[in-house]
Amino acid sequence: MKKLTYMLIAASLPALLMASLSIAAETGSALKNDSMRYEPYSDAKITGSFIRGESLQILKKQGAWLQVKTKKGTGWVRLLSIKRGVSTSSGNQVSGVLAAASGRAGTGQVVSTTGIRGLSVQELKAAKFNETEVKTLEGYTLSSEQGKKFANTGKLKTIAFANLKAPQGAAK
Amino acid sequence: MNISTKTLTTPDLRTRSHKNLLLSTLLVSLLGSVSLHSAAFDFEGAVKGAVKDAVKKQIDPQAEPSATPATDNTVPTAAAQTTAEPAFNWKNPSKEEEIALGREITGNLLGAAPLVKDAALQKYVNSVGRWVASQSERPDLPWRFGVIESDDLNAFAAPGGYVMMTKGLYRKLTNEAQLAGVLGHEIGHIVKKHQLKVLQKQQLLNIGAGLLSDKYAKDNKLVSKAIGSGAEISARSLDKSAEYEADRLGLSYATRAGYEPFGLADVLQTLGQTNKNDGSVALLFKTHPLPEERLATLGDAVGGRLDNIKNGKTLENRFYVLKN
Repeated sequence: MKKLTYMLIAASLPALLMASLSIAAETGSALKNDSMRYEPYSDAKITGSFIRGESLQILKKQGAWLQVKTKKGTGWVRLLSIKRGVSTSSGNQVSGVLAAASGRAGTGQVVSTTGIRGLSVQELKAAKFNETEVKTLEGYTLSSEQGKKFANTGKLKTIAFANLKAPQGAAK
Repeated sequence: MNISTKTLTTPDLRTRSHKNLLLSTLLVSLLGSVSLHSAAFDFEGAVKGAVKDAVKKQIDPQAEPSATPATDNTVPTAAAQTTAEPAFNWKNPSKEEEIALGREITGNLLGAAPLVKDAALQKYVNSVGRWVASQSERPDLPWRFGVIESDDLNAFAAPGGYVMMTKGLYRKLTNEAQLAGVLGHEIGHIVKKHQLKVLQKQQLLNIGAGLLSDKYAKDNKLVSKAIGSGAEISARSLDKSAEYEADRLGLSYATRAGYEPFGLADVLQTLGQTNKNDGSVALLFKTHPLPEERLATLGDAVGGRLDNIKNGKTLENRFYVLKN
């Protein structure tokens, strides 16, 4: 009898795992009209398309690409075409695939509610110059050499990458 | 510690300023960091000319346009140099004037929200910011970065290399690439002189309309007058196009610096998931296009440019976590 219970548990494990995985799939919406591709490459075969505002499921992230699932099919799309989360404003729901990918999982972000120390226009207007604070700030100034040293510690390596330009015909 | 050249009256200002720079550089290298810290000056008399000396001493003497095709467009022009009187040259402000202006604005902002009293945090943010700024077109500015006491989600740039971000926004970050992206955006504003141009335009209009006389324009209080009351200037919006440009530059600088290119986009995603009625984003959303628009616009500019960028780092392991 005991054995049977174990077996049952063991048998249901994959199903449980599957369930949790599908929960991990994140909801998103399309920021623009775009095509989906068979693989995460710009020359891969087009498998379908979606229109701006369409909601979809985010399945996977790979480099600059996301694998998404729409009502009509599945495919890869550049990640800046997709907004994470539901399009309505319902607070923080950073979870799932992307959260894991960005190291965000489990941080449990807190939404500030009461007692916020804000920076309203009125507060900014009423502000008085604070010399002590500026001096403290300036005391932290680093040289470019110190910056380079810090980068080396993190094994950051510069790469050649020309500044992005405004897309043609865009509302500048 | 003030190698003032105020008393010099030679009309050949260009030569003089070169000599001055050389002297400053020499002194800085002799005295090391001591001079960097002792160079703080009193703003009240700042724009009078003493500011030029003080500020020069703070400018990184070792600044080198390493790694990037940096073009130094900050060398004061002949027009700025031939002004015999130490007036604020609104038509063509020198780098020193730009820094003095940024210092005043930042001082006011710090009056509204002081620095978070956590030296390790401030040092960390300065390290990341300095490295990213070194990939910009103006690596030679005395870049300084600060996290300020506010639960709002926002970041501010002021002319001359001053970048502030709120503790509320910092708290939303989870890795160094995201921090690099946010700081990169603000660095972009400063490199493109977005805020400075707004102030210039306004001041030149005032002068043109006779609201400011030439005499008045030479007043050393001019800077304070120009930026309005308190840190109000920090609550003003720039053109949408300026924000999109700063997004593109922020991503570009962080990418060049070796970070995972989507750090800024990550943060925009997080902002996009913040309730739009939440008070913490009221000012941010009032002064910036919505995150959705920014992501889409950035996406149009990126196209396939990042398809082959690999090995960018996120460095969440050394990301400085706030104590409270």
